[in-house]
Amino acid sequence: MRYLAIVERGYRGSVETQFADVLYLVRELNRQLDGLDLSLRGLAVTYAVTADPVPPVVGLDTLPDPRASLRTLLDEGVTVTVTDDDLAAAGLPGDVQLLPGVVRGAARWTDYRAVWFL
Amino acid sequence: MARVPEADLLLAIMGAPHASDMVASALRVAEAVVGQGGRVQVWTCGYATMLTQSSLGDTKPRNVVDWSRDYPSTAKTIGDLLGRCGGGLTWYTCRFCGEERGVTTHIPEVKVRPPFKFGEHVAAAGKTLFLGVI
Repeated sequence: MRYLAIVERGYRGSVETQFADVLYLVRELNRQLDGLDLSLRGLAVTYAVTADPVPPVVGLDTLPDPRASLRTLLDEGVTVTVTDDDLAAAGLPGDVQLLPGVVRGAARWTDYRAVWFL
Repeated sequence: MARVPEADLLLAIMGAPHASDMVASALRVAEAVVGQGGRVQVWTCGYATMLTQSSLGDTKPRNVVDWSRDYPSTAKTIGDLLGRCGGGLTWYTCRFCGEERGVTTHIPEVKVRPPFKFGEHVAAAGKTLFLGVI
């Protein structure tokens, strides 16, 4: 059975974390545990929405790029889910364009060996 | 230390890094105000004192997804910003909060101040903005 990671909080220190954000941890856990999926909730659902990278801050052009990180996770076999309710709660329209491969719908916790909040 | 220089804005970073984009906002504001000719002071308390500790070095650990790319540490980022801003931006950090958290040495551009001097910085600033909670 696979594991499920739930990420609710987004944007945790862009200048501080850069590449080493929570999605970097998700990738490593997926590698070590041979199977981990990701459920985005709260403000973190915006990671799944198509958008340009954020502009540099004080000349720093290595800020987190959560869309690029999600594409890496999807390429490595991670199923990424978001629900319409969470998208709506973030103020996003129902037809907002998501990254290709992101699944609309809720992950079922009982399908997983364990569920972790990251 | 001599009398605290006057500033238009004091940014008191009380909240912890890595929890929100508070630090990015503070740096953006500081750069923008200095860019318009203003003078800014930053004072860090709590875990924000760790942003400028010299043990961070210039770069973060390697990114296994992009191994050859350098990612500057917060100490390097802030040091570079201070260099670009010249005298328009000064950075102070609370000795007590730093010592309480094991921060022993800061980058040379940062001035370490005792906590009981914070009021002098407020008095020297036209406006004080608190960011986060300690």
